[in-house]
Amino acid sequence: MKPIEMIAWFTKDGYPIPLRYRLADEDEKNIVIKVNKILFKEEEKIAGNRMILYRCESIINNTIKIFELKYEIATCKWFLFKM
Amino acid sequence: MDNRIIFHIDVNSAYLSWEAVYRLQHGAKIDLREIPSIVGGDSKKRHGIVLARSIPAKKYNISTGETVYSALQKCPHLIVVPPNFERYLNASNALIDLLREYSSKIQRYSIDEAFLDYTDGDKPWREAAYEIKDRVKNELGFTVNIGIGPNKLLAKMASDFKKPDMIHTLFKDEIKDKMWPLPVEELFMVGPKTKAKLNKRGIFTIGDLANLDRNYIYSWLKKPGLLIWEYANGIDNSKVRSEPLPVKSVGNSTTTSFDVDNRREAHMILLALSEKVSMRIRAIKRTAYVVSVGVKNSNFFSYSKQMKLDVPTDSTNTIYETAKKLFDEMWQGEPLRQLSVSLSDLLDNNFYQLSFFERDDRKEKLFDKAIDKIRDKFGQESVFRSCFLHSGINPLIGGVILEEEYPMMSSKI
Repeated sequence: MKPIEMIAWFTKDGYPIPLRYRLADEDEKNIVIKVNKILFKEEEKIAGNRMILYRCESIINNTIKIFELKYEIATCKWFLFKM
Repeated sequence: MDNRIIFHIDVNSAYLSWEAVYRLQHGAKIDLREIPSIVGGDSKKRHGIVLARSIPAKKYNISTGETVYSALQKCPHLIVVPPNFERYLNASNALIDLLREYSSKIQRYSIDEAFLDYTDGDKPWREAAYEIKDRVKNELGFTVNIGIGPNKLLAKMASDFKKPDMIHTLFKDEIKDKMWPLPVEELFMVGPKTKAKLNKRGIFTIGDLANLDRNYIYSWLKKPGLLIWEYANGIDNSKVRSEPLPVKSVGNSTTTSFDVDNRREAHMILLALSEKVSMRIRAIKRTAYVVSVGVKNSNFFSYSKQMKLDVPTDSTNTIYETAKKLFDEMWQGEPLRQLSVSLSDLLDNNFYQLSFFERDDRKEKLFDKAIDKIRDKFGQESVFRSCFLHSGINPLIGGVILEEEYPMMSSKI
């Protein structure tokens, strides 16, 4: 799980919605991925630590990819959880 | 009293499970609970003891409280992870929040144990217990044992039966079959010393103890004997206390990362400890009559000395000066590895008696108050005494989390 840089918007209820994020690929080159669709979101509080999990869909290199992002409420950090 | 339904909720290998699930939540591939692993202090700083172990680590005969060094000898591929108390407190708080949905009568017994009075619960108690256990597992990610009984003692004994992720009952009619065959040291409040005493007179199981004559045990072991005899017979009328017990003493200790062999350094450590305990006692609005200082030398021999003041105090300076005096009176000059300062015989500030003969310390009180406020607002180390500059010694030593927020185990249930 890697921390990532994120552009997100927040709903009136205070929920963040991920839009676009940036991470370094194997050659340390930054790539930007646009979140095309959020399939579902789910809040968890494992060990008392609240996180919001998003399963998303994007087109990366002309293929549709499914991945999971996590937002940690206590630290305001975004993570790429699974890809 | 015996018609109550008390739950005792006990987190299975708490620190380790919490660490494990936190790591899984952050994408770890390995579950610490499934491999030989421990949560342990840093050996280099000499805080190297095992705080919690996984069930696979238990198979290597590693026990809580032994040194990390000896644990690694028993199992060289053991995974050692450092503790993170803030994380554990979060997990513990989440557990208590969940329990509050079931009853308002909850006693937080320690960071990983709680009593819950379900006598007036809405659901059948067995159903409620299973629901709690499964919700904790699904929502919070770790497992608990729940012991159910007519009082706190029996509930606590029951939660200890078989682990993990289990529910056990121990009602009066089950005592004979479930509790009496157990070795006597498994009984709450029977430690190694009492065990030795009991064993010497042929008492090996809880049943042996329970079947002694009440007068016999009283004439032999007096009041504490009577207490364990009552426990062995499943008698305990204590309530589930939602309010914490009043604080009886406040103390801080530190194991230094190097041996302290000169007076100057020892005094600085005493000052750092005094700073912390005095801040804590002021925070709970008490003053103390008794100051005590304890040390442990490099041969692991401990001794202490205490002194009763004429006028109770909460002043950093008075506490430090007294601690220094006590220390100088008892220290033999040998290298020390641990020092502690504690305050007891506490008095509510409202009853503070003014004295003719004591020096006027109003200015000092204001000063202490100002320092506390600054530290509260800008952090613990925002202001400290200049003698600590470049000394390598922390200007404030002792507990990172306040006791109220972080209840420790007590001998009283």
